[in-house]
Amino acid sequence: MPLVPVPKSTFAQKLKRFFMVDLVKGMAVTLGFNIGALTDKDSVAGKGIYTEQYPKVRADVAPRFHGAPRLNMDPETHDTLCIACNLCALACPEDCIDVIPMDVEVVVAGKPRRKKVLDEFIFDTSRCMFCALCQEACPTYCLELTQDFELATYSRAGFVWNREMLEQGRETVKYTS
Amino acid sequence: MFALAAPTIIDNLLLKFFSEQTVNYVIWPLIQVGLVVVITTGWVAYATYLERKISAFMQARLGPMRVGPWGLLQPIADGLKLLTKEDFIPENADRWIFFVAPYIAVVAAFITLAVVPFGPDWAVITDVNIGVLFVLAVSSVGVLALILAGWSSNSKYALLGALRSSAQMVSYEVSMGLAIIGALMFARTLSMSGVVGAQASDKIWFFFYQPIGFVIFLISGIAENNRAPFDLPEAESELVAGFHTEYSGFRWSLFFMAEYAAMVVVTAVATTLYLGGWYFPFVYRFTEARGYHTAYVVISLIVFLAKAGLLLYLYFWLRWTLPRFRYDQLMDLGWKWMLPAALINIVVTALGIGVVQGLDGVRGMHTIVSISSGLALTPTGKIITVGIGIANLFLTAGILSLINWRSRDFNLKKQRRQIRLVDLPKGKPAVAPVETVSEARP
Amino acid sequence: MHQVEIATTRQSLLDAPEMTLNMGPQHPSTHGVLRVILKLDGETVIDLDCDVGYLHRGMEKIAENRMYTMIAPYWDRLDYIAAVSNGLVWVETVEQMMGLDVPKRAHYIRTILTELNRIASHLLWLGTHAMDIGAVTILLWAFREREEILKIFERQFGARLTCHAWRVGGMPNDAYDGFVEDCQRFVDNFPKRLDEYETVLSENRIWLSRTVGIGIISGEDAIAIGLSGPALRGSGVAWDIRKSRPYAAYADMDFEVPLGENGDTYDRYLVRMEEMRQSRRIIKQAIENLPDGPVNAKVPKLIKPPVGDYYHSIEGPKGEIGCYLVSDGTQQPWRVRVRPPCFINLQALKQMCIGHLVADVVAIIGTLDIVLGEIDR
Repeated sequence: MPLVPVPKSTFAQKLKRFFMVDLVKGMAVTLGFNIGALTDKDSVAGKGIYTEQYPKVRADVAPRFHGAPRLNMDPETHDTLCIACNLCALACPEDCIDVIPMDVEVVVAGKPRRKKVLDEFIFDTSRCMFCALCQEACPTYCLELTQDFELATYSRAGFVWNREMLEQGRETVKYTS
Repeated sequence: MFALAAPTIIDNLLLKFFSEQTVNYVIWPLIQVGLVVVITTGWVAYATYLERKISAFMQARLGPMRVGPWGLLQPIADGLKLLTKEDFIPENADRWIFFVAPYIAVVAAFITLAVVPFGPDWAVITDVNIGVLFVLAVSSVGVLALILAGWSSNSKYALLGALRSSAQMVSYEVSMGLAIIGALMFARTLSMSGVVGAQASDKIWFFFYQPIGFVIFLISGIAENNRAPFDLPEAESELVAGFHTEYSGFRWSLFFMAEYAAMVVVTAVATTLYLGGWYFPFVYRFTEARGYHTAYVVISLIVFLAKAGLLLYLYFWLRWTLPRFRYDQLMDLGWKWMLPAALINIVVTALGIGVVQGLDGVRGMHTIVSISSGLALTPTGKIITVGIGIANLFLTAGILSLINWRSRDFNLKKQRRQIRLVDLPKGKPAVAPVETVSEARP
Repeated sequence: MHQVEIATTRQSLLDAPEMTLNMGPQHPSTHGVLRVILKLDGETVIDLDCDVGYLHRGMEKIAENRMYTMIAPYWDRLDYIAAVSNGLVWVETVEQMMGLDVPKRAHYIRTILTELNRIASHLLWLGTHAMDIGAVTILLWAFREREEILKIFERQFGARLTCHAWRVGGMPNDAYDGFVEDCQRFVDNFPKRLDEYETVLSENRIWLSRTVGIGIISGEDAIAIGLSGPALRGSGVAWDIRKSRPYAAYADMDFEVPLGENGDTYDRYLVRMEEMRQSRRIIKQAIENLPDGPVNAKVPKLIKPPVGDYYHSIEGPKGEIGCYLVSDGTQQPWRVRVRPPCFINLQALKQMCIGHLVADVVAIIGTLDIVLGEIDR
C-alpha cells in the first residue's frame, strides 16, 4: 500500500503514464542540451557549452579578488610604501605576517632623528586564508591582495614569501596549452 | 572504388595459393572474424569516447579535449594507462578463477557477434539456423563471468554485489527471451539472417507489428547490461561493492569492454529483430537490382551500423538523464511488468496471426499473399496486423495495471505540487534589545 | 557454566540476522566526512548511529583567542557553502549586542547577497542529491547556475566560496559597478533553468519512486528533535525566521513560505525548489527598491561589546543558524557558541532511516542537506 495518500488519476493521466510521458519530457530536455551544445553559442542563458578551457583561456578575475599578496612601491621613487606600522600583522587572524623593522638615521630639520623603516617582511601564504583583513588594515595601501591565484610551488619553503618576492612578484611559468 | 573491388582482388590472390574449398570455408571466415573483432574492439573503445563526449554535451561541457584533436586519442591513452597499472590479485583469492573471469565476460560478448547479420551476403560470419537461440544462450554465459568474479575476489561485499548483479541479469533475460518470440512468429525462423530476410521480403520492419515487444526487449536489454537506470549493483558500489572492485588495470578494462560489447550486441540484436537489420527501403532497387553487389552490401552495412548507433545513443541518453532504480524496484519491474507483458505479447501475437490468416477470403479481403510463402502479408493484412499491434499496447497496459494494482510504486500518481505556499504573519524584527545587556559601554 | 555461555554466544552470533555495515568517512555520498554505522537485517536498516568529528577544527575555541573582527573569516568555513549567511549571523550578533545602527542600503545589499547564497546552497544540494540518486546531469547544470552566482560574489567580495562578506557595522565596500545589472541578469535567466530541472525530476516516475514516502518525519517529531529550515517546513510546520523574527531587510520583502505535507524526501525537494523561486523573488524586489546611502554604521575603533550574553539566529539555507555570544567586555569574546542547523538536523537521521533499505539511506542523507564543516565545526 502506498505510504502517502494519493489521489485517483484521470484517464489522460493514465495514458500519459503508460506512454512514459514524464520520462520522455525529461529526455527531451537532455536532447535539447545535446543539440544546443553543438549549435548554441550562448552558454549563460542558452544551452551552449559552459566550459572555459584553462589554461588556454585564462579566467576573468575580478578587480577585488583576494589573491597573492604584494607590497606596493611608490611609482616614482621606487621606495616601498610600507611604514612598518605592524598593523597588518596585528590584524591577521592566522599570524602569517612578520614585519621586521629597523632604525635608520635621517636628518630632519637639521637634527638627526631615528626613523623606523621596513627591513624584512615575511608572509606565509600557506597559512593565509585570504580574508583580506591585512589589506584593509594597511594605512598606506601598501599591502594589497592581487588577482594572482596561481600560487603553487614545489616545496613548503616556497610558500613563505619574503620582501623581495612580495615586491617584485614571483617568477612563474604561465602555461598556455 | 578500390574498397569495393578489394574482395575480388584478394579472392583472386588467395585462390593462387589455396584450393577453393579452403578459401571459401577457412580463409574468408577467418578474415571476417578478424575484421569483426578488430572493428568491434575499435567500436567499443570509441563508444567510451562517444559516451564521454555525448554526456559532456548534454551537461553543457566539452568532454575530452586534450589528448589528440578534440580528444580523439583519449581511448588509446586510457588503454595505455590501464595496461601499465599494477596487476595484483588479492591475497586469498582463487587465482585461476580470478584470472579467467574477465576473459569469459569478453568472450561471451564477442562470440555473439558471429551470428549477427551486419549485411546481406558476406557481412555475416556465419548464419547458424538457430541464431537467435545461440545469441540468448551465449549472452547468458556472461552472467557466469560475473558470479565467478565476485566469488574469486574473496570479499564479502564483492560477492553480494555479484549475486545481486547476476540476479538482475537473469531475471531480465527471461523477459528478453520471451519478448523475442513475438517477432519470431512473424519471421518463422530462428536464423538471424532469416529474420532480416523476412523483413526485407515483407518490406516492413517488425517494429510496426510488435511495438511492445521492441520496448520490452530494449528495456530488458538495458537491464541486462547493468546500465542506467538499472545500474544500482554497480553504481551503489559505494555501499555494497560491485563484482569488479578487486580488479584493476587491464583486467578491469576487460570487464569494461565486455560491458560495452554487450551493449553493442543488444543493440545489434534489437536492430536485427525489430528495426529491419540491414534492410532499408529502396536500397535493393538502386544497387543489387542494377548489379552493384558490393555496393549493396556496403550500404546495407552502413544502414545497420546507423540503426545500431541510434540505439546506442539511446543507451547514453537514458543513462545521463534518468535517476536509477532501487534494487527492489528493479526486480519488481522485471518480474511484475516485463514478464507479464512479454507473455501477453506472445498470446496476443499468436491470436493476431490466427485472426489475420482467418480473415483471408472473408468478404473478399486478401490478407496473405500465398499460404506457402510463410507469413507474407498483403497491405491489407499488414494494416490489420499493425492495428493488432497497437491494440496489444492498450491491452497490455490494462492487464499490467490490473496485476500491479496494489503495488506501491504504481500508485505514485501525479504527486506534483503538494506543497502549499503560505504567507506567514510577520513578527517583530530582531533589533538589539538594549535592556538585556548591562550598562557598561565603551 | 562458562562453557554453556560460550556455546550460547557463538550460536547467537551465527544466528544473528543482523550485519553491521560501516558507511565510512570516505564515501562519495555522505557529502563530507560522515561516518554512519548501520545495522542491517538483510537490506533493511534496523539501527543507525552517526559518528561525527572528523572535520572538527576547534573553531569555537579559536574564537576565544581572537578579536571580534578576526573571527568573521572562521564563520565562513563552518558551512562553507553558505558562507555569506554565516558571516551575516556573526556580524548581526555583534552589531545588535553593541547597539549599532546599520544603514538601510547595507541591509538591502545584505539581503540580496544572502538570498543569492541561499540559491547557491540549494543548487548544490539539488545537484548532489540528484547525483546520489543517479541523475548526474542535474549536478552539472546546477553548478553552471552556481557559477554565475559565484562570479557575482567574486566581483563583490573578492572570493567565491569563503567570502568574508560582512564587517561589523556594514560592508567593507559598496556594491561594485554592474552589481545591479549582474543580479538582474541572473534573476531573468533563473526561472527557465529551474523549470528545466523540474521537467527532468519532479514528475519523473523513477524520482518519485525513490523519494516519495522515504524518510518521513512528522511535524511533532520534527519540532521535538529541533529541526529547522526546509527539513522542518517539509513536514508542514510553518516556521521561517525571515518571517517570524525578520532581520536585515526581510521585513520589507514580500514573499511566501512553501510548506510540505507529508514530511518525506519528495516534499523537502519541492520545498527547496520553491524556496529558490521565492529567493529569486526577494532578490528582484530588493534590486528594484535598492536605496542609496552609506553602507557602514559608525563603529567604534575597538569592538568591545558590553558584558553579557546574546543569542541571535537567522534562517540559513540549511536551517536556523545561530550565534550565542558571551562577552566579558574585552576585545576577545569569552565564548562563541554556534547553533549548527546541520548537526541538529542530523539527529533526525536515525528516525528517518529505520525501516528503509540501504539504498534509501543515501537519499535521506542527501535530503537533510548536511555540510560536515558545520556539523563538526
